[in-house]
Amino acid sequence: MKILFVMEKRVNAGSIQAVANYMRAGDEFGHSIALYGRQDPNFPRLRFSTEASAFDYVVFIIESRLQWMSGLRLPRILSRVPRGRRAILDADGMYNPTIAVEGYDRNHANERERLVWLTTFDYLADKILQPTPVPCQPGVIALAFYGYDPASQIRADAAPPKRFDIVHVGHNWWRWREVSNSLLPAIERIRDRLDGICFVGAWWDGVPPWARALDLEAAFCVEVERFRRVRIEVRPPVPYSQVIPTMSEGRVNLMTQRPLLRQLRFLTSKYFEIFCANTIPLVMLDPDHAESVYGPAGRELALHDGIGDKLLDVLSRPHKYRESVEQVRRHLVQHHSYQRRLQELVAALAA
Amino acid sequence: MKLLIVSKLDRYARAVTTISKYVQVGKALGHEVAVFGEQLSNVPSVPYSLDVSKFDFAIFVVYETSDFPDLPYLARLLDGMPKERRVIIDCCGRYNETIRIEHDFNHLEKMDGHQGWEWIEGLQAVSDRILQPTLSPLRTDVRPFLFHAYDPGVAAHRDSTPHQATQTRPGNGDGGKPYGLIYVGNNWQRWTQMRRLLEAIEPLKNDLGPICLAGWDWDKRPDWAIQLGVRGADVDPALLDRLGVERRNAIPFDEVIEFVGQARFTPIFHRPLFNHLGLVTNRTFEMFCSDAIPLLMLPQDMVEAIYGADARPLTPGDDVAACLEDMLRRPDTYWEAVLKTRGHLSVHHSYEKRFKELLAILER
Repeated sequence: MKILFVMEKRVNAGSIQAVANYMRAGDEFGHSIALYGRQDPNFPRLRFSTEASAFDYVVFIIESRLQWMSGLRLPRILSRVPRGRRAILDADGMYNPTIAVEGYDRNHANERERLVWLTTFDYLADKILQPTPVPCQPGVIALAFYGYDPASQIRADAAPPKRFDIVHVGHNWWRWREVSNSLLPAIERIRDRLDGICFVGAWWDGVPPWARALDLEAAFCVEVERFRRVRIEVRPPVPYSQVIPTMSEGRVNLMTQRPLLRQLRFLTSKYFEIFCANTIPLVMLDPDHAESVYGPAGRELALHDGIGDKLLDVLSRPHKYRESVEQVRRHLVQHHSYQRRLQELVAALAA
Repeated sequence: MKLLIVSKLDRYARAVTTISKYVQVGKALGHEVAVFGEQLSNVPSVPYSLDVSKFDFAIFVVYETSDFPDLPYLARLLDGMPKERRVIIDCCGRYNETIRIEHDFNHLEKMDGHQGWEWIEGLQAVSDRILQPTLSPLRTDVRPFLFHAYDPGVAAHRDSTPHQATQTRPGNGDGGKPYGLIYVGNNWQRWTQMRRLLEAIEPLKNDLGPICLAGWDWDKRPDWAIQLGVRGADVDPALLDRLGVERRNAIPFDEVIEFVGQARFTPIFHRPLFNHLGLVTNRTFEMFCSDAIPLLMLPQDMVEAIYGADARPLTPGDDVAACLEDMLRRPDTYWEAVLKTRGHLSVHHSYEKRFKELLAILER
């Protein structure tokens, strides 16, 4: 099958890593996968095409913005690929009722905005896919989409030196409440027993100036002074190709997820990238949720209660946790490989 | 004929004047013109419509990607109007290979996220008929159509003689106007030429009178331009302060002529890219309606092609100060050039004529 992904290309955010993995899996299994556009030096290993009509299916990967699908860009695709051969991966849960988690994280600011998203999705494609086992909206197809690529795993002998005890790679996008209410208090209690801590990503160094105009200040909330007090180093985002090596600079890596996506049980690239890194991943999910993705060993790596004690235990007894990590990796190879994901995608499109 | 214009109207920018004139002239000639979309209050004189099927043609007036509607409106438009009944007026020469003139570009990916090929192939996907407001498009598959035009009915004073023109304008002869020079336009790709003009006329500052720039981003280089490394909104506040240049917010489209009329002179600049491509704008014509003498800071061949030979004296050429000095001394001579040029514009570039040219293109 020939599949053309159409997405807002962001070198340090979103689903670009997954697209790269689909291309590799496609090459292996005889499917032709490309990304809409022309060759781009920022994405040197990706395959691009502008010949939408040469593909069997076009899959729009839509995150939290619609503007990139401009009226200049769309007619070329829409006029060449009929709606029945178009699908949407709704990566941010926009094709849903309005959901506000704890009065904080939300998919839509108001009903009018939601209506624009829904009508846009309905016009664009016949099939809407969501990376969750439990879609809320009737007609939405559950498709995990994101997966694990064992070839991307960095082994100990190829890993960069460990510069930090704790690394967190991800943007400050609806994450502050969890970080400030759960993670930071735990770290503050044990800070003197930890070595370096680094948060890598956008907006940990302050709310962007344009957030207020978009009524999104809450999404980017951060206390820079508190980070300084806790001696947390902040580094800018890295390109997708550097995510796994950057994670590998930490003895422990933390995965947080915005509350909305966690409630919707959405998978993201990060769920799997973190297990490619040479590190001990700790995922801020409840143990049942962690087990549902990672298998039984995932419970051991869930960072839920007793965060401070758990961090100290992992750092002092890494061998014990490395065994859990290996068990999870074996589970991921079996259940979440990109080869498997690609077969699922092909089946969903052809159905 | 019923024409549906597709464009994002802004009271302070782009084609709002031209489109509102098409509405008026179209009606006067027995046609109907509306803008696609839900009725907006920002330009109440322009009717809006979503009833695509009611119209014979869709005319896309394109400056930026945002001139195309978003989904789901885009779908309604494309589904309701077949491609052969869609026409694009490409106002900024986007439908060309990427061109850079000084700091000016026809494609600027870091501002709108679209590469050059997307402009070309995107416009081709919308329509087979692409028009550009230039007499000499670079591409063979583009038709010249100036789009913008002159409204003889709006000229502030309809003087019949240069002497009368001078007499009816206190200030053009004896310094009674509040401003010596007004420029209305946003600071986008204008600074190189503006600096040259201001530096040239600095010695005449006292004789000329106050200078005013009205538009966006004349106070300082905007933050977004600094962040993106875009030089097209450069400005030198120190130079403007030294010359005592007043900076004002943008003027709504329907107040421009009256506002400019408070000055003795008004320069007409085109962006470097537009000079290169021979593209005209609304201001090319509109400034001749105002009660100020236009200074044609444009290439000589364009001046003659658009305004006619009588406009030559209004072109300062290399010695702007000397020309302006002479204009201050002998306003009658230059008002004669203005009046004759207005006559030329009335005959060759009226909105009525332009509208008929568009109909002829559509009917072909």
